Amino acid sequence: VTTGLTTWLLRDDLAVARTGAQEMAEDLALLDAVRDDGRARLRIYRFHAPTLTLGRFQADDEVDTEACTRYGVEVVRRPTGGRALLHGAEVTYSVAMPKPPGADGAVDALYCAIAQSLIAGLAQLGIDAAVAAQPVAPAGAVCFTGVQGADLRVAGRKVCGSAQVQRGAFAMQHGSVLLDRLPFDEVDLLHFASDEDRDRTRAKLRASTVTLAELGVAADARAVADALIEGFGAA
Amino acid sequence: MEYPAELRYSAEHEWARRDGDDVIVGITDFAQDALGDIVYVQLPDEGLEVIAGAAIGEVESTKSVSEIYAPLTGQIVAVNPDLIQTPELVNTEPYGGGWMVRVRLVDPADFDALLDAAAYQALAEG
Repeated sequence: VTTGLTTWLLRDDLAVARTGAQEMAEDLALLDAVRDDGRARLRIYRFHAPTLTLGRFQADDEVDTEACTRYGVEVVRRPTGGRALLHGAEVTYSVAMPKPPGADGAVDALYCAIAQSLIAGLAQLGIDAAVAAQPVAPAGAVCFTGVQGADLRVAGRKVCGSAQVQRGAFAMQHGSVLLDRLPFDEVDLLHFASDEDRDRTRAKLRASTVTLAELGVAADARAVADALIEGFGAA
Repeated sequence: MEYPAELRYSAEHEWARRDGDDVIVGITDFAQDALGDIVYVQLPDEGLEVIAGAAIGEVESTKSVSEIYAPLTGQIVAVNPDLIQTPELVNTEPYGGGWMVRVRLVDPADFDALLDAAAYQALAEG
C-alpha cells in the first residue's frame, strides 16, 4: 500500500493470536526488518486477550498484580513511552520506516504524516477525526488521559492514541483505535492512593476517550482493520 | 537553535566537548527541541566500553523513546547523576547541566573526525 509518506509492506496479523509479549516483540521485529532492508512496513493486529501495556520506563509498582490476575490480564512492557494502557476491544496498527531526511524525519513530522493515513482510514468508517492541537497537561498514570499532538480525537475525545520509538535512522510507531470498552478499565489494574483517586481518574479517562461503539459506528475489528489499511493506501 | 562552535557533533544528534583525553557527551539543542519534554533518561553503567555508534542509553520524552549513541569509541568514566531526578535539564541546558556521559577516548584524535557546528547544523536543519 502507498501513502504520501511511503510505500508500506503490509502484514495483516488481525487473525493471528499471540500473547501481548509476543505482539510487542513483533513490533520491535518490524523495526529490525526495516533496518535490514529499508522497506517500510505496516502491521495490523489486535490483542486477543486483555493486556495491560506499560510504558518503556514506567515503574512496575504502579501495577496491581493481584487485580491483573483476578481480571485475567497479561501485563507487558511496550518499547514506546507513556503510561499504562489496557488493550482488548480495539484494533492496533504498527508502522516501521526509515526516517525521511531532515525536518521530515522529526518526531512531530512523522506523527503528522502517519495521522493523515489514520484520519483517512477512520473517514472510511464515517468518523471525522482530527489531530489534537496542543499538549495541555502531563499524562497521569493512565495513558489515554494524556493529551498529545499524536492522538486522534473526535469532538475533543481520543479515539486513537499512538506512541513512537526512534532508533537512529529508523522509527516505529504503534497505536490503537478503540472499538469498545472492556468491563473494567486501566484504573482497576493500577494502585491508587484512595478509591476517590481511582474514581476521579476513571471519570477523566471515560470523558477524555471515545470508542467507535459510542460514536455509533458498528464496525467489527475486520472492518476497522480494512479501513486503516485503506487509509494508509489512499491518504 | 544553538550550535556552539567549540563542540563537535554526530549525525545522530549527540554533541561532544573535548576535555583532555575525555569527551563530555550530550544531545543537541536541535534534538531536545524535536523530542519535546524529556521525562526519563536511561544511561549506561560507568566502566562500560563503547564503540562509536553503539547505543548507550535511551531518552523518553512526551513524544517518543529515542536511543542515545556513543559518538566516539572509549570507556564510560562518568554519567550525569542529576538526570535521574531532573531529566528536564536536557531540555533547559542541553550543552551544560543536561550532559549525559563522560567518555575516555581510545584515540583522542577521533574527536576531530566528528562534524563541526556548521556541518551539523546543515545536516540537522536539512
